[in-house]
Amino acid sequence: MTRGFDDVEFGEDLPELRPDTSVANVTLFTKAAGMFTGRFTDHEAARKQGLPGAIVPGIMSQAIFAAMIHRWAPEAELQTIDTVFRAPVIVDQPHRVTGVVTDMDDETRSVEIDLTLQNEAGETRVLGTATVRLP
Amino acid sequence: MMDLEELKGDWLNLDFDEREFEVKPDEAVDFARAAGETAPRFLDPSDPDFQAPATFTARFHGRRLLPEEFPKIGLPLDAGKAVMPKRPLRAGAKLIGKSHLHEIYEKTGRSGRMIFLVSRMELFEGQELVSIVDSRMVIREKPGS
Repeated sequence: MTRGFDDVEFGEDLPELRPDTSVANVTLFTKAAGMFTGRFTDHEAARKQGLPGAIVPGIMSQAIFAAMIHRWAPEAELQTIDTVFRAPVIVDQPHRVTGVVTDMDDETRSVEIDLTLQNEAGETRVLGTATVRLP
Repeated sequence: MMDLEELKGDWLNLDFDEREFEVKPDEAVDFARAAGETAPRFLDPSDPDFQAPATFTARFHGRRLLPEEFPKIGLPLDAGKAVMPKRPLRAGAKLIGKSHLHEIYEKTGRSGRMIFLVSRMELFEGQELVSIVDSRMVIREKPGS
């Protein structure tokens, strides 16, 4: 399904995403990203480093934000995405990603989206803002 | 207390690292799949529009995050990352990443001053700028530094 600029409403919520933060999936990501440290894939190794458990890499949270946008608007062209890593995203714990359209530019047919990744307690772990151009 | 204007004058916009990278299709596919992408252009190397995910360049990093002689004002912690893709990256693309300090600013709170450093990597394919990656670091200033 194509979602064009004219199909979007200001204030529209993107469909919520439940990202796969299992050890197996984070391991797939870290290998692809060349990140070879136990803090991302091994709870015990992470605890030895003072972390509460293995953590999802920040750039994986960022890539999850981008994937959420593409699920909503498959032909969206990402122009910028800025993420703030506020607190660790713990591997194997359930999280939810939400997004809302906060600005629209008729001239460039682009929209701004605020993105949030929260844990089950409703605590925000990662924040993001993306600008995407739509057909 | 470190003088930020002096720090900016001494260190901003000077290239301090250069490194080569390659967009490997198997890594691009696994990166996209793990993130939850579903479009064939990210998952199927035989798709005519196959490309690396837009944030794939965030995985590339230089040999160092800060210039070698940069003052040791505290431990830099990862505060965020921004990616500005300029065009799709195709499988096998060979990139050159050049890094410089792009921004230095401060925020002061109840617990003291925090200094933010933005290290920018500009990625080129040949002469063409194809992606920009900003790594934001925060340093809680050491008392008396």
